[in-house]
Amino acid sequence: MTYLSKMTPGQSGRVLGYASDSPITRRLTELGLAPGRQIVYLRNAPLRDPLEIQVGSTFLSLRRAEASLVAVEIDD
Amino acid sequence: MAEIVASDKKKGVINVAICGNPNSGKTTIFNAVTGLRQRVANYPGVTVEKTVGQFRIGHHQETFNLIDIPGAYSLSAFSPDEYIAAQALFGDIGGEAAPDAIVCVIDATQLERGLYLLFQTLQIGKPTLVALNMMDLLERRGIKIDVIELSRQLGGLTVIPVIGSKGKGIAELKHAVAHLIEQQASVNFDIYHPATLAVISRLEQMSGRSGRSRAEFLRVLFDTGGPAEKSYLGKAAKQAQGELAAGRAELIEQFGSLTAAETASLTQTAAVIAAASVRTSATGQTRSERIDRYLLHPVLGPVILAALMVIIFQSIFAWAEPAMNLIDHLFMHIGSWTGALLPEGPVRSLLVDGVIGGVGSVLVFLPQIIILFLFIALLEDSGYMPRMAFLVDRAFRWCGLSGKSFIPLLSSFACAVPGIMATRTIEDRKLRFITIIVAPLMTCSARLPVYTIMIAAFIPHQSLFGPLNTHGVLLGALYLLGLAVAVVVSLILKKTLLKTQRGTFMMEMPSYKVPTARSVLIRVYNRARHFVSRAGTVILAITIIIWALSYYPRSESITRDYQARTAVLRLEYAEQGTDAQRVREQELANEMAGAQLRNSYLGRIGHAVDPVFAPLGWDWKITMATLASFPAREVIIATLGTIYNLGSDSQGSSSLVEKMRQARWEEGPRAGQLVFNPAVALSIMVFFALCCQCGATVVTIRQETGSWKYAAGVFVYMTLTAYVGAMLTYQLFSRLWS
Repeated sequence: MTYLSKMTPGQSGRVLGYASDSPITRRLTELGLAPGRQIVYLRNAPLRDPLEIQVGSTFLSLRRAEASLVAVEIDD
Repeated sequence: MAEIVASDKKKGVINVAICGNPNSGKTTIFNAVTGLRQRVANYPGVTVEKTVGQFRIGHHQETFNLIDIPGAYSLSAFSPDEYIAAQALFGDIGGEAAPDAIVCVIDATQLERGLYLLFQTLQIGKPTLVALNMMDLLERRGIKIDVIELSRQLGGLTVIPVIGSKGKGIAELKHAVAHLIEQQASVNFDIYHPATLAVISRLEQMSGRSGRSRAEFLRVLFDTGGPAEKSYLGKAAKQAQGELAAGRAELIEQFGSLTAAETASLTQTAAVIAAASVRTSATGQTRSERIDRYLLHPVLGPVILAALMVIIFQSIFAWAEPAMNLIDHLFMHIGSWTGALLPEGPVRSLLVDGVIGGVGSVLVFLPQIIILFLFIALLEDSGYMPRMAFLVDRAFRWCGLSGKSFIPLLSSFACAVPGIMATRTIEDRKLRFITIIVAPLMTCSARLPVYTIMIAAFIPHQSLFGPLNTHGVLLGALYLLGLAVAVVVSLILKKTLLKTQRGTFMMEMPSYKVPTARSVLIRVYNRARHFVSRAGTVILAITIIIWALSYYPRSESITRDYQARTAVLRLEYAEQGTDAQRVREQELANEMAGAQLRNSYLGRIGHAVDPVFAPLGWDWKITMATLASFPAREVIIATLGTIYNLGSDSQGSSSLVEKMRQARWEEGPRAGQLVFNPAVALSIMVFFALCCQCGATVVTIRQETGSWKYAAGVFVYMTLTAYVGAMLTYQLFSRLWS
């Protein structure tokens, strides 16, 4: 188990859940990062932050700090 | 044809709300349905825009109001916009009618996420239907949705496939709305978990006849510490508090977290329904992904962004110029034509110099504003804007701002008024305020005439390396000055008064779309109209005040003196009306205008305040002209023209430059010396770079922040910074030059 912020471009994985319950984690869930969803880590911004991911047919960009809230399991 | 049940509030008017995720094409559908019959206002007390339009359906008698609800991902509000969206849908906004029916727009390529909001909206209990938008995009990706199955899965809810950008399905949508209201149909199928529904049911019982819909109770339950909870606890008994806490504890135990109780049910149901309705799924990269390989490329991305900005700037200044000149000339003609009609006196002066001059000075910027709004609308509708924020966010955070501040600050380079209005997309209140506070430091287009004339007149032109010369470099330096001070101010604010950790960035990157002309033009029109009425009225009001200060008190002796001299002049000419005579009479008139101005209240204030500005190297004429330009910067040129007896139509003319170059101090320690030299010119330019001389900006800040405190604060800090900056500039450069 690791966090979304630790993934690298090109990796794919699965959302496990959130350690805490806050408006931010709720919003991440509502945007598509719900437990069980498949995600693909696409790219970083030129200065390494924010990052862009794909979950289902949705493309999201988030800051590394926000991504560090999402627990994921990386596919081998 | 069954008669439509009219809403309780007003017979014959039906209110339909249109809601949906951001980027779902909701507004395009709105525009397709209402055309230009729409009005933009603000919800009471907040800066969230409310757009209401009207439409008719077939041969129904009633008028239908279509209310464009701000885009929302969920009724659990994360931003002020979403909060208003929820309130508007609930019918909880004071003075606003509750919707009689709801159209929920869902982007067909983002079905699951759209269903999430739909499920919450259905709890409101109003007749609802779905507009399934972007069917063309779906087809292009090779995805098929069985709309009939989807409707069946949603308990028989009406689903209308639509292509908003092409106007397809709009007629069907309108008829479906009519049908919906006739039938007053609402669906009933299990969305929330029984445990949740049990808790809600207990809360509903506790409240008795509160008139709240189930959707609102869900907000009370799930939005801890939110406005719905506060309102519920405020009115209810101690028992209610206990009930709420107990209910939450139950759900936390069952689901692991309170939020999960709602999100898990909704996301799972959405997934099931989507899976059942989607026949074939997408494979391969979408067009947007292919485009993003270039636009979000680590090197190419920023390069393209920079190039785009250069193009935008160039266009705003280059394309607007012919139109601006046209408007300028037009108003000068109107002014002199009006002036010729009226007799000499306060009315003529008020109309020509005050009203026409004031209105003209606002409208002359309209071409630039329109082009700017056009670019912004294109960037918004194409989907490129979130990419811009993505590319610059980190750099902006180093400066205490956010990637979302980019467009507002970029806009402020044309004019701070639309720039400040554009900060509404920044959800975090403090970050938004910081952006608003530094926006006026961006070199706006009104500063350019001042820079141009000062640089051309008093800065020696010298070639530096290659294509660079002193003039261009100085102009660039002035731009950088504004930016540098903005960064410093923003960092200071971030660390002190407006400390915030809460800024978030998470954003959807919507698919790229080709903007529709209709949608773009309607938006540009609305915003331009708004700008003219807002900026126009403020600048006009302040211009009239300044006019009054510069016109009164009228000195009888000066008037008589010049009348006498004009009479003498006339005697010199045997033949009246020659060009030479007219020129000399005009010169006399200008001299008189200058003398009256020097004698006016404004002139006296200039004299009185002069010692304050002496350390900046200014004489009282410069001081006076600067004071007069506080409502609108570019006024300084006209005022200087008048002071130097050239009348007020000497915009950018060489005669003004000549006069200024020859001006000498009349008294004081520098009597006899030239008033203007490079150091003085620099100090004037630095002052204008840093000072907030724009009444419209101050008023807009008040509007967007909701308090005069911020507006006054911005005005004060900028004036002080400008003063100190100009003083340091003068003191430094006057020593260098002597």
